[in-house]
Amino acid sequence: MTTILFSYKNLLRHKTRSFLTLVGITASIAVLYSIISFNKGFEAGLSKELERTGLHFMIVPSGCPHEVASLVLHGAVIPKYLDDTVSEKIRNFKDISLISPILVTQLPNQIHNKIDLVYGMEMSHLKNIKPQWNIKGSIPDNDEGLILGSEVFDHMKVKIGDTYSYGDKKFTITGVLEKTGSQDDAFIYIPITALQKMLNKEGKVTALGVKVLYPEKLTEIIEKLSNEIPGIQIVTMNQVMNSISSLASSAKILSLSVAIIALIISAVGVMNSILMTVFERTQEIGMMRAIGAGRNDIFKIIITETILLTTTGGLAGLIISNIGSGLIEDFVRKFMPYVPAGKILLFDYKIALFSLIFSIFVGVVSGLYPAYRASKVSPIEAIKG
Amino acid sequence: MIKLEKVEKIYQRGSERVRALKGIDLEIERGEFLSIVGPSGSGKTTLLHILGCLDTPTSGIVRLDGIDIETMPEKELVKIRREKIGYIFQQFYLIPGLTVYENVSLPLTFSRKERNRSEIENLIEMVGLKDRINHKPNQLSGGEMQRTAIARALVNNPEFILADEPTGNLDSENAEMIFELLKSLHNKGISIILITHNPDLAQRTERIIKLKDGIIESDQMV
Repeated sequence: MTTILFSYKNLLRHKTRSFLTLVGITASIAVLYSIISFNKGFEAGLSKELERTGLHFMIVPSGCPHEVASLVLHGAVIPKYLDDTVSEKIRNFKDISLISPILVTQLPNQIHNKIDLVYGMEMSHLKNIKPQWNIKGSIPDNDEGLILGSEVFDHMKVKIGDTYSYGDKKFTITGVLEKTGSQDDAFIYIPITALQKMLNKEGKVTALGVKVLYPEKLTEIIEKLSNEIPGIQIVTMNQVMNSISSLASSAKILSLSVAIIALIISAVGVMNSILMTVFERTQEIGMMRAIGAGRNDIFKIIITETILLTTTGGLAGLIISNIGSGLIEDFVRKFMPYVPAGKILLFDYKIALFSLIFSIFVGVVSGLYPAYRASKVSPIEAIKG
Repeated sequence: MIKLEKVEKIYQRGSERVRALKGIDLEIERGEFLSIVGPSGSGKTTLLHILGCLDTPTSGIVRLDGIDIETMPEKELVKIRREKIGYIFQQFYLIPGLTVYENVSLPLTFSRKERNRSEIENLIEMVGLKDRINHKPNQLSGGEMQRTAIARALVNNPEFILADEPTGNLDSENAEMIFELLKSLHNKGISIILITHNPDLAQRTERIIKLKDGIIESDQMV
């Protein structure tokens, strides 16, 4: 009989206790694995989402870069506006291929008695700015149509072709944005000129999205623009990403700390559980020493028990977090800012391997003391009874 | 052969010094069947532990097949226990989660000796537990448990069997069966050293060593 088989059978002697200990390890490895892969998927998803916006930088009124970051990804109401003169000035620069105005605001929805988040945009630019979007129905081709985010659509119980009004202004719902999993789902998209008219903010925009002809000249263009146009701030997609990453990093650190603490607690649980069995088995250990087990053998048996427990728990944790990745993702999205659209939790063998090795390591560490205690059992004292 | 010269064993129990053995001189030849008797606290078990290389004396010499073992490090003692000695205890000490077969083969895990399945099965058959081979200890009677322990003691082919009150927890019928089993092992050339409280059993061994207060009171051939 091998030591592994023997240790396994020892664990089976206390099925409930071993199972409960296992649950602790399983849960904490599942959390650890999910958090690490979520963080990795978050970074990757974010840069992918920014790449897909098709814009090189945003121009906003001078202000807080975090506001800009949230505006770029998911819209935010910034009570400062740029006016037409800015976009006219930019249009005069060469090397610019697209300037797309954006106006974000909140509008009271009297029919449903709530506040709508409204995103005014140049509908003809939609394919450039949001290439990843799938729209059911059509994109409005005049100022009378609008598009609903999927969440809004689900709540309102309306259908494509229905009328949607703000006061006297009536729109027709021409399309619905299919679920993106991001905060885009919560917006209503209105042609920008219509929105400007409604708000009496003709010519005013929250931001201008800019695409250049030659991205390699980006730094040069940005420098020129900032020098020649006062009162604006230029934010590149890289800066947006850094800004969001730094916003999200505290959430990441917090979640990782929670996972590590959970793991420490469950490691102490393993240690406690195995230590209890060592105390209960003192006589048995004495007997084993008498029939030829060295201190090393006893040490090996006990540490194998803890490693078996934590490795099994680690494996179970990996399986559970991969099966339940959808649920975990939905849950984390509720608490983490600016989670990019799409699936974030994908199986990553490197993180899985790391988690597994980590669970073995936890087994070794939590087994050291019980194994040491067991190896120190004096056979004479033990078998005296 | 085991030879003890002026063997003393002193325990420190709290502030009290216990002289368990006070100068034991003893020679045990290979193939003997002897019993050690004496009242509780006379030093029987201490003597057995020293004979079984579980413990070393405070002073004196212990020689096993010509090798001094009293100063041997623990690692070497473990090796001797694996190769030369088989232990049988009053409380059997079987591992609850393991079958008879697994309990019997447990010492091989430590000695790293290879024995094939049929050899172990033969041992189990010899102690009369062939039809119990896959049973766990909680499915066995006391006598069956002790027979399992005997098979376990034999699995490494020991030269000596040390039995500490092996019949102490058994009824007379089972005790008799165990004694007969030990006798048959002796007939196969294995030395048996038996600690017992039962004077009738002791009378049926070849030599009786009577201990009292840590010294040998008498040593007689039967």
